[in-house]
Formats: sequence, C-alpha cells, structure tokens
Amino acid sequence: MFSSVLIANRGEIALRVARACRELGVRTVMVHSTADRDSPALRLADERVQIGPPPSRRSYLYPPAILEAALRTGVDAIHPGYGFLSEDPDFAEMCEAQGLAFIGPPAQVMGRLGDKAQAREVAAEAGLPVLPGSPRAVDNGLEAKEVAERIGYPVIIKAVAGGGGRGMAVVRAGRDLARAYATTRAAAQATFGDGRVYVERYLESARHVEVQILADRHGNVVSLGERDCSVQRRRQKLIEETPATGLPAGLAERICAAAVRGARACDYVGAGTFEFLVDDRGDFFFIEVNSRIQVEHPVTEMATGIDIVAEQLRVAAGHPLSIRQEDVRPRGVAIECRVNAEDPDRDFLPTAGLVQQFVPPGGPFTRVDTHGAPGVRITADYDSLLAKVIVWAPDREQAIGRMERALDEFQVGGHGIRTTIGFLREVLANSLFRDAKHNTSLVSDVLDLR
Amino acid sequence: MTTSVSEAGDLLGELCRQAARLLDGSNGPVHTVRLRAGDLAVEVERPGIPDGVRPVVVNDVPVEPDDADPDGAESICAPTVGTFYRAPEPGAEPFVREGDRVEAGQQVAILEAMKLMNPIEAEATGRVVRVLVPDGESVEYGQPLFVIAPAA
Repeated sequence: MFSSVLIANRGEIALRVARACRELGVRTVMVHSTADRDSPALRLADERVQIGPPPSRRSYLYPPAILEAALRTGVDAIHPGYGFLSEDPDFAEMCEAQGLAFIGPPAQVMGRLGDKAQAREVAAEAGLPVLPGSPRAVDNGLEAKEVAERIGYPVIIKAVAGGGGRGMAVVRAGRDLARAYATTRAAAQATFGDGRVYVERYLESARHVEVQILADRHGNVVSLGERDCSVQRRRQKLIEETPATGLPAGLAERICAAAVRGARACDYVGAGTFEFLVDDRGDFFFIEVNSRIQVEHPVTEMATGIDIVAEQLRVAAGHPLSIRQEDVRPRGVAIECRVNAEDPDRDFLPTAGLVQQFVPPGGPFTRVDTHGAPGVRITADYDSLLAKVIVWAPDREQAIGRMERALDEFQVGGHGIRTTIGFLREVLANSLFRDAKHNTSLVSDVLDLR
Repeated sequence: MTTSVSEAGDLLGELCRQAARLLDGSNGPVHTVRLRAGDLAVEVERPGIPDGVRPVVVNDVPVEPDDADPDGAESICAPTVGTFYRAPEPGAEPFVREGDRVEAGQQVAILEAMKLMNPIEAEATGRVVRVLVPDGESVEYGQPLFVIAPAA
C-alpha cells in the first residue's frame, strides 16, 4: 500500500478520500486554493499545501502546481476525486512521468473512454447495445442532419469530450438541427476545449441506470450492482438509489453483466461507472463510462458494505481487489440526496455566502458526507454541492421514510444561503417516485406542479 | 555517476518530452530552454513573467508582524508552489539583500516549479526590509517572500 497520497480535490470528496486513507494508515497531503484555506475538509489532512487562487484553472485544474506540491511533499500517488483533473488522461500521464501513481485507470484507457464517440465504439465492439447514432463525431451540420433523418427525431447532439450533463442539446425537428449543432459545437469548444460532437437517438422518458465496476491489474472485474439515477434536473443527478426498483425481471442482472463485459473489453482498471438508459419497453442502451469515483458511490457502499475508495487505493497500489464477485451481496435499499446550495425558487440559482447554522442529520443507517460546517463560506468559484445524505433500510418504503426524517433534521442557514432540501422532499413525496414509476422527466413534472 | 552516450541520449529524449509537456501547461512565451544529460535539469527562461505566474499579493496571508517594518510595507508573495532561490546559482551572490534598494521589475529571486525557473520581480520601487524565506526552501502559493518598503 502507498505510504502517502496527495488529494487533488476539495470539499466532501477530499474528505471522503482522506478518511479512506486514514483507515488504511496512509498519510495524506491535501492541496487547496486560497478560497478553501479554512475548509473543514483540511482538518483530516496530515499536510496541506496552498496551490493557487480561487479560480480552478489556477489551482485545482493547474497540473504544475499540483505536481510540484506532490513532489515537494514526497507522496507516492495522487487521488483526483471527481471533476477537475479526474478524467484528464494528460494529467494521468504527467503523474506517471513524475513517478507518481495516478489513482484511476491508465491514461490510454481514460483517453478512449473520455471520447464519448470512441466509448460508444468500444461498447458496441464488446456487444453492448448502443443507441442508433453517428458512428463517430460528425464533421458538419449537413452530416448531423443526415444522421438525424436516418435514425429519426428526437435526437440528442452530444459533445465528444462532454461530461457532467454539459454539452448536450435535444433536437425534436429538422428545422432546429442546424442551430443546435452550431451552438453545441461552440459550447463544447468553450467548455471542454474540443468542439467535436456526435448525434444519437434521444429517449424521451427513460430510466438512467448505471453500474459500479471495480477492476484490478490482475484480470479481476467485479460489478457492485446498479444504481438508478433517474431523478435529474437538466441532466444533473439529484437523487440516486440502489437497487433500481421496478425494472423488468432479470434486466438489472443483464445490465450489470454488460458493464462487466465492457470493462473487460477496454482493459479497465480501478473504479468506474458504466451508464445506460432503459426505455419504456425494457430495452437498455450504453451511453458512457465515467472513469473515476462518482458522487453517488455511497449508495453502493451502504448496500454492499464495500469501501469503494479503499479498493481504488488498493488497485492503484497494484494489489488485487479484496473482493470477488461472489462476495458482493447487496442488501436492502440505499438512497442518496444531493443537498446543493441552490435556490429552487430562482431556477436553482447557486447561492453564496457564509454558513452560520449547519446541523446535519444523524440516527440509524444515516450517513452524511459533507464539508459543510458553521463558518464555512460558500463561494461561486466551485460547484454547489454542499452535502450528500445517504440512508439505508431493508426496503424502499422504509428508506424513503428514513430519508424524509433525515432531511427534516437537516438545518442549514446563513445570509443569502438557500438549499435544495425542501425541493428534495417534494420529489420524495411525489407518487411516481414512491411507486418507482419515475423516469428522467420526473423533476420537470414536479416543477410543473409548483 | 558517469552516464554513457546512449543513456544520455535516452535521458535527453525523455527530458525533451517532459519539457514539451510541461511547457504545454505553462503560460506565456519562453525564449530559452536548456537541457543537460547526466545530472540533468531543464532550465527555461522567459522574457518576463506571464500572467499565470506573476507575483501575487494575498493580503490575508499572515506575515509575522515586525514593529520595525515601516508603514506601507508590502509583501512580495510566491506566484505558485515551488522552491525559493535567492541567488541565480548555488554559491552566487543573492539577487538582493536586506536594506538594498530595488526598482520595479528588478529580479529579486527565482521560484523553481516543475523544473521551470520563474524569475520573481519587484512590483514597485522600494527597499528590501526583510527576506522571509531561507534559500532553497519550499513555498506554497501566496506565501510572503519579501517585505518591501515603498520608495519615499
């Protein structure tokens, strides 16, 4: 095992990684921007290095400062968390070049999967069902239109380098395609530095089902089961759960088996997530791979008892996984709610300010992953995730009840600070959600009812 | 340790790749890159400090107060994580000593980060009151390096 790891991230995921390291006896170095100098996440670090000013591109997205901090502090490895540099193959290569282990898949694998069009090809070659669409990035608006007419509307134009629900546009009619193509290309170029886009059939009311994979360098690939992440607003997940309730019999097992096939086909190493859409006929389609730890990993941990971050560390250190497929026996139901510092009454506008009151919930089978605390300043520099509340119960009804109780307990206050707690409770109360008949349209339906 | 010609070639090739990669991630123009095989280092010189690595003023980084500091004294702070060098090379005279007058734009130190030698320059004309960091010490972003008294 590594003797020390640098955590190249912030907030709740930095804290999560630090906890796993501490339990494994690994020393941690946490880098931070000036905006995060007083973050409670830093209290768990054995050492801290200030690497830059608040803007991410000068701190958390600035490899020279992170690598310099790693070399100065003599760490063995870098854990990138999620977001920032976590899926940047160039950064992974830089780490390796400096003799540092990058805690994630090999750069080459990450590069192939990060190109969403290439990832589709990899999946199709492995026999995974993919949505009809362009076989690769389209070169111009005319080609995009030809593809759309061949596969039928509605279609979705997606950035090849996209992720996090950004860089996509749904087109329902041919007359709108040219403009959507141009704007998506421009947005992709601005956001990801890569303007290439591809076209895929758009499923109007699908379930978003993803599979957590762990793989080591010894040929072991394990599925930890599926998660349902259908509760999304503008393709940003709000509530995730495991198992995916209400799927046709045997479908979840087939999706998990497909994910394992896909992981083997691309020589995956580490923790990864294969994402699928399930249509109303029960057919499933591969959409993309997230080659990093995900925000919603705790629901899988709660249901399986497996520490996914600890497995990431073991695998990156060259050890085999500590579990085999037969050791994975998920129990009960786990649900996660993302509490964001956003105002649902103002179109989920991120709110910034000083947190004065912060009372997270507790109680049985209730986990809160957060860097929030009284005195923490929420800035507009980073994403608005403030806390994740995760509950477990023997069945879904009890899990929803437990989550409602937990959200009732959660108190966050401060001048100008608003959160999504109230809105999450509205979604939990929705009959479609309670009956597990919801799909990715649920949040807009709830908003329409307000 | 001696280095064979083929080893030196391999080292040099690797250094070229590393230098190219690091320069890719750096800001601004570069006018000199020196590579040396064996006990090799990459040296990069720029005509001036690009925006990405300008000295910064981080007002809330505490500097140990000193009653002797004149009113209006300001700190020159580290523009990135790195190693602070007071002199152009080992054994050479430092760029500046306490009490020296400095002109705006005058080089006062080097900050080495990822084998890039970033010159640190005085932002304004004044006098060096204190040098806060020993030669060869690691510093983090925003760490005060010098206290400079403004020119009268």
